[in-house]
Amino acid sequence: MNDRHIDEVLQQAAQAPDRIEPALLQRIAGSLQPSLHPVRPLPRTWVLVSRLLLVAAGIALAGAFRAGFNGYAKMDKSARVLVFITLACFAFAAGTEFVNSVIPGSRRRVTPGNLLLIGGLVLLGVFALLFRDYHTVHFWSAGFVCLVTGILHAVPVGLIGWFLLRRGVALNRVAAGFAAGAFAGLAGIAVLELHCENFQAFHILIWHTAVIPVSAVIGALIARVLPRSA
Amino acid sequence: MEEYAGVDKSNSTTLPLLPAGRELEPLMVRYQGGDFSAATALIYRISPQLHRFFVAQLASRPSADDLLQETWLRIHKVRHTYRSGEPVLPWIYAIARHVRVDHYRKVMRTSAREQRLEEVSGVAKNAQATHGQPGVDLAALLAPLPESQREVLEMLKVTGMSLEEVARATSSTVGSVKQKVHRAYKRLRQELGSLELRKGRGGERL
Repeated sequence: MNDRHIDEVLQQAAQAPDRIEPALLQRIAGSLQPSLHPVRPLPRTWVLVSRLLLVAAGIALAGAFRAGFNGYAKMDKSARVLVFITLACFAFAAGTEFVNSVIPGSRRRVTPGNLLLIGGLVLLGVFALLFRDYHTVHFWSAGFVCLVTGILHAVPVGLIGWFLLRRGVALNRVAAGFAAGAFAGLAGIAVLELHCENFQAFHILIWHTAVIPVSAVIGALIARVLPRSA
Repeated sequence: MEEYAGVDKSNSTTLPLLPAGRELEPLMVRYQGGDFSAATALIYRISPQLHRFFVAQLASRPSADDLLQETWLRIHKVRHTYRSGEPVLPWIYAIARHVRVDHYRKVMRTSAREQRLEEVSGVAKNAQATHGQPGVDLAALLAPLPESQREVLEMLKVTGMSLEEVARATSSTVGSVKQKVHRAYKRLRQELGSLELRKGRGGERL
């Protein structure tokens, strides 16, 4: 028994006619007719992703404007370029994944879990490369403040993002919520990188990076309890 | 109601299978524009393979009828999420798959296990009919496979979708689809091989 034989068997099975009552098809067509009116298709993926990125950037900048650009001012030029380009790339990938997760039949290049893993590792690598101060002062207290600050900025990004994509239909709501949370978490990290002037390696590697998975899990949990719309 | 090429709407209820093609896209765009004839054309052209998809996923025929109706209602509700230029079949199958998952969850809460066992027991009988005989039951043939492998194989081999389209329909990657197909073939080789072996032993005894 080889693959060719299995192909033949499957093709033979596929050629067997399937029977549907014409009355059923007529009934289906008839049931759609009363509510058949023109609809406006969703915009292209790049348009939706651009909107999400604008929202994330807007909230991150507004948060940093309120709290101060202390971290950004303390960073050298190469660190600024590397950190914010990495965050922008990760945000673009996460935003695309978020959009794809709410539009049926979208092309997926990576699963949300893998995206989080790969993006998180890249971000950790960049942070490990740039921040080499291994002292730990106020590790828990300062870290907790940063985590909460990051998540508080991620929440509005996630909610506005969900609102922007409300005309989509999340086939797997938990996966969509996870992607939304991961995307929003990046806005939270952006606020921390702009504002936080604590450059201790462990503080940044653990507490700043933790905003993404925590936000992703919160997003998945919220999506799970939200009522179904479709 | 107008007639559509290749679609039999007479008393003979055997409907043709649709080749995966680009001709559905203009129909879908017209459907979004509120064109009832386009909506009807889509229903008549896609329903046979959607129905087969549900039957192959171990649904009973009445269940498949219900799932088909439910799928079209969902498609109608979210038709704005289709963007012109995108392939239609993966979009439709993604929704159909979601309907089936919802149904499956509902059935699992009641008597799914009993139903599944009954149908799996019919595999050997149906697989024996695969050697050059017509009327192979696809559902029974694919029954030994896990659900995720079964749906992927059904979309690829019966619907004629490409790997890329199946990946879109199942919200996964092409690599993941390839892996599922590989595992499904391995399992089918084992199942059909052991069947042949049993058949051979039976022949020797005779």
